[in-house]
Amino acid sequence: MYAPTDSVPPSSSVLMRFLVRSREYRRPKLWSAIRLACGIFNVVIGVALLASLQRLGSLAWLAALPLAGAALIFWTVYRLQQESASRVHELEQSRARLVDDSAARLRRIERDLHDGAQAQMVAVAMKLGLAREKLAVVAAATAQADLDRALELLDAAHCGAKEAIRELRDLARGIHPPALDHGLGAALTTLTARGDVPVELMVDLPERPSAAIETIAYFCAAELLTNVAKHSGARSATVQVTHAPGLVRVRVSDDGAGGARIEARGGLAGLADRIKTVDGRLQVNSPPHGPTVVTVDLPSRA
Amino acid sequence: MRIVIAEDSAVVRAGLAEILGDRGHQVVAAVGNADDLLTAVAEHQPDVTVVDVRMPPGYTDEGLRAAISIRRDHPKVGVLVFSQYIETRYTADLLGAAPGGGAAGVGYLLKDRVADVQEFVEALGRVAAGGTALDPEVVTQLLGASRRSDGLASLTARERDVMALMAEGRSNGAIAGTLVISERAVEKHVANIFSKLGLAPSDADHRRVLAVLRYLQS
Repeated sequence: MYAPTDSVPPSSSVLMRFLVRSREYRRPKLWSAIRLACGIFNVVIGVALLASLQRLGSLAWLAALPLAGAALIFWTVYRLQQESASRVHELEQSRARLVDDSAARLRRIERDLHDGAQAQMVAVAMKLGLAREKLAVVAAATAQADLDRALELLDAAHCGAKEAIRELRDLARGIHPPALDHGLGAALTTLTARGDVPVELMVDLPERPSAAIETIAYFCAAELLTNVAKHSGARSATVQVTHAPGLVRVRVSDDGAGGARIEARGGLAGLADRIKTVDGRLQVNSPPHGPTVVTVDLPSRA
Repeated sequence: MRIVIAEDSAVVRAGLAEILGDRGHQVVAAVGNADDLLTAVAEHQPDVTVVDVRMPPGYTDEGLRAAISIRRDHPKVGVLVFSQYIETRYTADLLGAAPGGGAAGVGYLLKDRVADVQEFVEALGRVAAGGTALDPEVVTQLLGASRRSDGLASLTARERDVMALMAEGRSNGAIAGTLVISERAVEKHVANIFSKLGLAPSDADHRRVLAVLRYLQS
């Protein structure tokens, strides 16, 4: 429940700091159980002392001690519960901020790549193309070996520049597909049209989810479609994006071989981890011989 | 050709102007955002305009929206949109933008294609002359997104090649050159494609591009 750290939550009062050792925050359940047991033990002792008040005589006030101790222990347990609930709330909020922030940062990196390296490479490739044409004319007219060699080099540089542009584009698209700026539907339209397996796409989202959720939903669909193309041998696939109050559901189904499972360190496990960062859920239904249906449920706000 | 360039990256803008100037074309204006593009097109009435999709201030689809409004308001001006990415949605918007829809005087190419100077200038010429220039990736995506997979499956591999090149907006001569077959053979393939897909035959290049694109998008 608490972050694995030795430090007491900063919101703790002085009394709580005195009553609760910092190491307890590592095993909150164990220590709560010990506390409760001690509390109950104290109550039992207190009640036993009360029952024999007459025999205690002038020491009757001793019965109040274990009862007061029990009250303090129960109060501590109650405060710890309260603190942990508010801590969970704080952590959820800071995680949501982080998820949103990293989505925005990825978008910025993609844009920087587009404005910087990609544009420069296009200009370089363009100039190399023009230079190659000019040199080819001269080389054809004079037939000098040196010129032919220079032309070969220029050719290689031209091809390399074009290859670099392609790689940069794939890299940028892997970081943040620009069509996501226009919503999940627009981005998935391109994604599903690019694949090798024919994909039917249905998107029913009256409202746009938050940017981070759109990004996760997109990469889930992309990863699942890659799996379909790589492993299933399917002839067709369907991507459905639907909504329920507070929920976005992405469902990818195919008519392939089936038998897909979430294995440790596998692609699906990685996907499940990513989905968990926003409290989403991944369900795989893939009997042998298919069909495979993978359902991803995400909150519509991270 | 008289050309207006709209591209926010100064190096690419300068490179384009250099290439086109080198070919003896006249770049009448080179601007860096969509508003300036609309002003320049209204002022100069160029033969064709080259438009980057992403431009300031939002860097999303400002160029595309400007291109669509040029198609609507200045139907005689050819519009060649070029972009780092090909998006299926953009293709649909662009092809549907002219009055009555259509592919006349429109192009959509990946930015990489400017590196192959000769091909790029040819594509621009086609668009200026009221033809079509679609990137091979646009055609791949149209084929991928098409619901007419039964009709497409009836084509032979060679006919599919011819149809893809036809959808890019190429003439019979260009298709013959690319596939290294005779023009007669291309004509035969084209006739087969039209009859297999149940399309009315058409001689004019841009009409048959339109027929094929309508078929893929329906």
